[in-house]
Amino acid sequence: MRAILNHRFSSALIVLVIAIAIAPIVMNSPLLLDNAIIIAIFSLLALSAGMSYGQAGILSMAPAAFGAIGAFSTSIVTIRYGLSPLVGLVLALVLPMMLAYPMARVISRLSPMPLSIATLLLSMLLELAIREGGKFTGGYNGLSGVPPLAFAPGAEGMYVLAWGLVVVVVLIYANVTDSAIGRAVKTARHDPLRATADGVNVPALLASYFAMSASVAGLAGWLYAHYMSYIGPDSLTLHVSVNVVLMAVIGGAGTLLGPILGAAFLASITQFLPARGTQGMFFGAALILVLLIAPNGALGTDWRKLFSKSRIGPRPPVPVTKVAKVEKQGGRA
Amino acid sequence: MTIKASGVTVQFGGVTALKDVSVTLERGRILGVIGPNGSGKSTLFNAITGMVTPTAGSIAVDDVVIDELPPFQRIARGLARTFQTPRFDPHVTVHEAVMCGFYPVHRTGFLSTMLRFPASSLEERSFRERCDEILSEMRLAEFRNLRMSELPMGRVRLVEVARALANDPKYILLDEPAAGLGRDEQEMLSAEVQRLARKGVGVLLVEHNFKLVRELVEHVVVLKEGKQLIEGTPEAVARDQAFIDIYLGSTGR
Repeated sequence: MRAILNHRFSSALIVLVIAIAIAPIVMNSPLLLDNAIIIAIFSLLALSAGMSYGQAGILSMAPAAFGAIGAFSTSIVTIRYGLSPLVGLVLALVLPMMLAYPMARVISRLSPMPLSIATLLLSMLLELAIREGGKFTGGYNGLSGVPPLAFAPGAEGMYVLAWGLVVVVVLIYANVTDSAIGRAVKTARHDPLRATADGVNVPALLASYFAMSASVAGLAGWLYAHYMSYIGPDSLTLHVSVNVVLMAVIGGAGTLLGPILGAAFLASITQFLPARGTQGMFFGAALILVLLIAPNGALGTDWRKLFSKSRIGPRPPVPVTKVAKVEKQGGRA
Repeated sequence: MTIKASGVTVQFGGVTALKDVSVTLERGRILGVIGPNGSGKSTLFNAITGMVTPTAGSIAVDDVVIDELPPFQRIARGLARTFQTPRFDPHVTVHEAVMCGFYPVHRTGFLSTMLRFPASSLEERSFRERCDEILSEMRLAEFRNLRMSELPMGRVRLVEVARALANDPKYILLDEPAAGLGRDEQEMLSAEVQRLARKGVGVLLVEHNFKLVRELVEHVVVLKEGKQLIEGTPEAVARDQAFIDIYLGSTGR
């Protein structure tokens, strides 16, 4: 079972099968269809958070900001200049990357924490810039009338496109994770000096990886703008970024499918919450619960081990000099 | 074809960890560095691999001065090292840990990796094959799917050596690889080190176990408090009174 689940294509295949399986049900209800598309967009944002936080160890507070860059760039070129949404797509993929790389390259030399704060500032600055952008960004009113995508007509078309893109991103993510680059990123997160001894240019590699994650967020923003036909200063804010990071952490930031599961879960329970104002309370409670019980998230936890550990059982042998460290990690796992 | 460290001095604040040390490591040779704890052995390793910056002296690999190069470019020139205290992610399997060592020889770019172009796919497969080869050479194949935290310390050190071998180094720096190894593991390690030297790899060996040093090394450098005390063949060094006093103690042979 585990061997099948570990195959490189299996995660993408699981998403594909589920998306096809629920399609007949979802397509019968406009409300469900809308939810499913929103979940796909949030899945992409959460996958971006998973890449930067779960793999590279950079707690980015800017997935939604990179999404906003994607959304605004495609909105501006399609509305103002009448260009094809595909031009917008290229911009949505490239611009976040071009911003994320130098930012990470300069700051990740220090440690992940300053970078995290830098992404927070980026988020705030961007929101300010959008509001003060005048006619160019639509200011406080935002930009409406973003054209729908001709190749994905109607909500049904968007459903296929959005989940198709999620499958493609998961596939790419799996490819990278199972490669020299993916292993180096994992090593660098755990122990930068070890990665250096492996011959890794740690700051450059982490910056590239962060840029890739920003690009995925830009893709989500592109979908968002063309689906909603509107993008404004209140659409993809810092608040959204926090939710997105939460989705990734709850589902399992280090896993391929965790962010998608987290996105589906949080976006769904939002429907049943009494009022929008209480959202933070429930999300906060969910985060605390996850961090207490399973800090690696729903899919990042070995549940069998978690439950068997509460009873007294044989412990795996640990190397003598590493006992203290391993025990600490064993307690967390 | 040598690593030449000449007059290397390393200072941490007011402490001189290494003072005017010169060593030459030729390819195909095994050079031993011994000395008590704190004598600067690991600092010498760090200076050669670029993890600390010497205050004086120069290091050249194959007649090219590498003083200005960052560590990853030095590794790319064919250096590999292990750590005295093995550094590893306890959750990672033995196979994955060794696979991490292939990074310096990987050639495919980010885009090719993302889309898994044929070149990338081929490269990954060749790494896997080579990894299995290394694991069976080091007799670690049966531990392939165990996590690093489940291995005894001796095996962990062997995995570290295997990881360093993955990038097919010209020079390998082993920092106390035999510490904590059982007798049979030690014999295996020493056979592996000799095999490496025969293949033309230069081995710089830091080791406390003088028996192992005698067995493997043709030339040994003795460090004391960061200074080069004596050097020569292990036999000559073992007879030297100064060496006996600081290293083997009064009951030494």
